[in-house]
Amino acid sequence: MKRILSLLLAVVMVLGLGSALAEIKLDYPTFQVGVNTAAPVIAQLVEEFNALHAGQVVIQVEEIPGDANYIDKIKVLLNAKDLPPVIYGAGYNLLDLALASDLLVDLTPYVEADPEWQAMYNDKALEVNSRDGKIYGSSAEGNTIGYFYNKELFEQAGIAGPAKTWDEFFAQLDTLKAAGITPLSMDTADSAWVTSLWMGALIATSGEAGQAFMAQMMPDDYNTPEVIGALEKIQKMFQEYTTFDAVGGKYENAANAFLSGQTAMIANGPWMIGDFSDTTKAPEGFADKVGVAIYPEGFAYDEPIQGYLVTRQQDSAVEQAAVEMVKYFTGVHAQTVALEKQGMLPASTQVEITQTAKDNFPLLAEFVVALEGAVIRSATTQATMYPNLLDIMSAELPNLASGAMTPEQFAQALTEGAAKNK
Amino acid sequence: MTQRPLTARGDSGLREQRPFHARIPAFLYMLLCVLVALFPILWVVMSSFKSNAQILSSAVSLPTAYSFEGYRMALEVSPILRYFFNSVVITMLSTFLNVFLVSLAAYVFARTRFRGKNLLFSILALSMVIPMTALMQPVYQVITSLGLADSLPGLVLVYMALNMPLTLLIMRASFAGVPASLEEAAYIDGAGFMYTYFRVMLPLTKGGLASAAVMAFLNAWNEFTFALVLTKSAAVRTLPLSLSYFTSQFSFNYTALFAAITMAVLPSILIFAVFQEQVSQSLVIGAVKG
Repeated sequence: MKRILSLLLAVVMVLGLGSALAEIKLDYPTFQVGVNTAAPVIAQLVEEFNALHAGQVVIQVEEIPGDANYIDKIKVLLNAKDLPPVIYGAGYNLLDLALASDLLVDLTPYVEADPEWQAMYNDKALEVNSRDGKIYGSSAEGNTIGYFYNKELFEQAGIAGPAKTWDEFFAQLDTLKAAGITPLSMDTADSAWVTSLWMGALIATSGEAGQAFMAQMMPDDYNTPEVIGALEKIQKMFQEYTTFDAVGGKYENAANAFLSGQTAMIANGPWMIGDFSDTTKAPEGFADKVGVAIYPEGFAYDEPIQGYLVTRQQDSAVEQAAVEMVKYFTGVHAQTVALEKQGMLPASTQVEITQTAKDNFPLLAEFVVALEGAVIRSATTQATMYPNLLDIMSAELPNLASGAMTPEQFAQALTEGAAKNK
Repeated sequence: MTQRPLTARGDSGLREQRPFHARIPAFLYMLLCVLVALFPILWVVMSSFKSNAQILSSAVSLPTAYSFEGYRMALEVSPILRYFFNSVVITMLSTFLNVFLVSLAAYVFARTRFRGKNLLFSILALSMVIPMTALMQPVYQVITSLGLADSLPGLVLVYMALNMPLTLLIMRASFAGVPASLEEAAYIDGAGFMYTYFRVMLPLTKGGLASAAVMAFLNAWNEFTFALVLTKSAAVRTLPLSLSYFTSQFSFNYTALFAAITMAVLPSILIFAVFQEQVSQSLVIGAVKG
């Protein structure tokens, strides 16, 4: 009997030891797969992290192709309180949604205990990833955005270079139009990314009130003179300066209009630079024709995008491993990989713009220089607005474009949409 | 006076063949129907040989060159073949189980009387009108608590259940259309309940079974949202998910997307082309029985 008991005890101990030493599995759902420009970056970081923590922690990637699919799934998991250990907030403001359900791990003690990690946070990064003085996220992407222009088309129209003021900008649009060139790429579908960039730039440069509006996290009131003023200009842009397929069109249509030389300008971030030399999307030599600029009145989008979040788990060892993963994925090395492979400008000023990045993406170097002239900077409207407003933008922009809706009515629709989050 | 040739039409009689010029409108109409039906498929196949710029700039133009680069990229970017195989297994299993199990219930609803029958039937049938989004959360929690998340049986179970109301409606109507005298004759001849059901009733409702199976198959084959939410690994993911690999918010590869769609639909079209006679027959069997 004693032998049997001893044997059982030994088995239990071995099993217990085994489970204690078992490799921690971190499920990581990501939309950065497939044709997503960050896919090679994430693949490399996962491989490196797994090699670095071999036998201890392994990241198991769950591929969720399509950004909207990712958000849909995360929302279901969030409602079920079954979030994976690490989620990526990206531009979808998942931080507040997860925090409202008390599902996030406070990263403050971890960040404060690691000077190297703490140094990665500048004021903006801290602001976007913190709530009530506690840090919940860690950023990897700078989300620095200007606009691209076709130098050849500018030359054809007799335009010397990017406009310094909005008056000059709209005069350029008229000049381009008179030369038979469609000035702008715009869109309305899939949250109207390109259009919302023009809109945000117009709001941010409309004065102090505009800047204050852009600095707000999840604004409730869009019935303001600066927003309505911007919407008036957006309406004009739709009616006079863009392609026929902009209304109802997605980002792809807007991008194609620019890449095929049909339009002279598109607002977008540096991750698009790779497309200019992709001959399946643009003609051979197109990259040489593209210039990059900050917006009129010295504005640029320049605020780190909400980063990686660690969620509460039953097993504290899993939480610890998740923190390690987030630290690795947002460190200097990770941001350098993204910079050199994807052309993504870093979230942290600690990351140097390397020569490799400049060689890989010459326009990026040009943009970094242009950025020095930016006197007004903010986050994108999409990063700060309530998520449900993205759908309202897509649904109502065609009405604004056609004139079926006035800028005031559009602003009211956004305000009413925002009120639904109360 | 010369007589026009007479041609056979089935076994029901003879009719006069109209001259060719009189049949031209009918041919044109049929040609139009064929074009309308084939155009989307041809457009997808043609687009798989065009560049992104050509697809977006001139959607209906012909490709300028025929390269299989799109197909190479499609196979490289997404695990489409694996997902296709999973789709076949999951769809076949869920369709078979759905039609088999629900037809048993439908038979009971069509043939027996019991208290609350109409209420129960209404509840089951009404579940068809519940929006997918409303089902998402409870289904996720049930499947997770059963330990069936990210598993083939989990997805089979969900698809089987999702198609239940439609199959129930179709099969109850089919069973109700079979004269009760046939059943009674079987019982008089000594057949038991199961024998009567499987050997008499089911063969007489082949048309309904085929319709229900086709609907269940198509619904399961095309379903996206539950496949997304209930699965994690490539081992159980289905074909519709693979098509999302080619577009993201700031990136797209339509050439590969159309190549992937071509690879996804061509096998189904080929199978239908080979078995179209059987499929068509199964759809009309029972239509004239009464």
